[in-house]
Amino acid sequence: MSGTTTNSGSMVRGENIVKRFGNLTVLNGVDLLVKRGQVVVIIGPSGSGKTTLLRCINHLEKIDGGSIYVDGELVGYREKKGRLVEDTDTNIARIRSKIGFVFQRFNLFPHKTALENIIEAPIHVLHEPKDVVIERARTLLDKVGLADKADSYPHKLSGGQQQRVAIARALAMNPKLMLFDEATSALDPELVGEVLKVMRQLAEEGMTMVVVTHEMGFARDVADHVVFMDKAVIVEQGPPEQLFDHAENERTRDFLGIIR
Amino acid sequence: MFRWDVVWQYLFSGLFFNAAWTTLWISVVAQFAGVVIGLFLALMRMSRFSWLNWPAAGYIWLFRGSPLLVQVLILFDGIPEMFPSGEASKILTPVVCVLIAFSLNEGAYMAEIIRAGITSVDAGQMEAAKSLGMRYSLAMRRIVLPQAARVIVPPLGNEFNNMLKTTSIASVIGLLELTGTAQVYGSQAFVTFEMLIVATFWYLVLTTGWGYIQSWIENSMDPNRTGKAEIIEKKGWTRRMVGFDSSRSFQSPQAGRGTSIPRS
Repeated sequence: MSGTTTNSGSMVRGENIVKRFGNLTVLNGVDLLVKRGQVVVIIGPSGSGKTTLLRCINHLEKIDGGSIYVDGELVGYREKKGRLVEDTDTNIARIRSKIGFVFQRFNLFPHKTALENIIEAPIHVLHEPKDVVIERARTLLDKVGLADKADSYPHKLSGGQQQRVAIARALAMNPKLMLFDEATSALDPELVGEVLKVMRQLAEEGMTMVVVTHEMGFARDVADHVVFMDKAVIVEQGPPEQLFDHAENERTRDFLGIIR
Repeated sequence: MFRWDVVWQYLFSGLFFNAAWTTLWISVVAQFAGVVIGLFLALMRMSRFSWLNWPAAGYIWLFRGSPLLVQVLILFDGIPEMFPSGEASKILTPVVCVLIAFSLNEGAYMAEIIRAGITSVDAGQMEAAKSLGMRYSLAMRRIVLPQAARVIVPPLGNEFNNMLKTTSIASVIGLLELTGTAQVYGSQAFVTFEMLIVATFWYLVLTTGWGYIQSWIENSMDPNRTGKAEIIEKKGWTRRMVGFDSSRSFQSPQAGRGTSIPRS
């Protein structure tokens, strides 16, 4: 396929990623490595660039410098006469179809039922037979504990239920990588647990995940690797025990002290 | 002396049936073409490429900024003058001129309506569709446009109501739709007023019929699905046609002008 295959052990490899919004530099030379089967949790204060970093991984944001490889393929750009140019719509879509993305605000399709939300992309993007997809969708709804909500429209569901449908929708594409963008931040406190439970279960099954979250308990329990970002750079990273209990950097310690 | 007998004689005549049919089919074809042209213009206008942006903006500027009557006359009288061989006037018959001018003109108006509809859909919908591996065109077709339709359909209905009446402009180049028919046959027998009354009757038949259809379409779009049921009122045909709703007028003091009753 692409001539730019990288180390087969890594699912995501970002090198020197730079992202600016106008004059504001949101990512200032960030390197990120996610191995297959690993759960990487990104923490940090608001405005530190963690959500932007996540959105760059499936090219919802263009990057102004550096490169990102997912599953060995360069994301969003291709080489043309020795220069990098933005990739075609079709190619970007193909890479995105391997990457599940869960939004803070769910973004379910309001004109479709829970089941229709889930089967939409497998049928129209992967061109799989409808009965196969429906079968899979029902299994997934069951997995996220919403088997009885298949025919409900999103606005009839609670936030936690909507987010679980959104996770099922992403999983229906059989992604190799799941990205979670503050998946529980828009939820009422009592609904956070049900979503985290599903994410925990996914992690146990060996899904490769990159999770941006403020849930420190989740980060500590589930993460294989924790990344702390502040002011557009990665300040410190390592296994959760190291970061949470023996953080070396002053800013990391401050942040974790404040949040606790 | 106003001759009622002439009105009755022509009210349900084949002459006016045909004229009403002409008005109707020209309106339907021009409106349909207008929606298609408008959709492409709206997508061009919203494109991040300026080479798509500018032509669309220029088109809308031109057609919204000049009278439809002038556009019709340019097509019918102006263009054939540029080709003295007579080929152009053979192709540009009154019907063809009217269809072209009305479609192009309507496209400019529909472009703005469709653009507003697309803009009303939350940007997160496009992002969610893209993140599932949909290309722009598929995401537009399957996710964004169906949601935009809810916003587009009410003004689209008003556009069509206008279209039914604006086709009267076609009479100036001799097309025998309702107004043209009334004028031509009326002036021959000195019964113009009577004939215009007949034409008015048929315009009302068409617009009233459309009012019913529009209400039905809007109500069948099931606002319940969006969770925005509260802000979308069901509109009876009386509200659409006369500006008030007979089924609501005696309900509650709060159900006044501009307020909506939340449906649970």
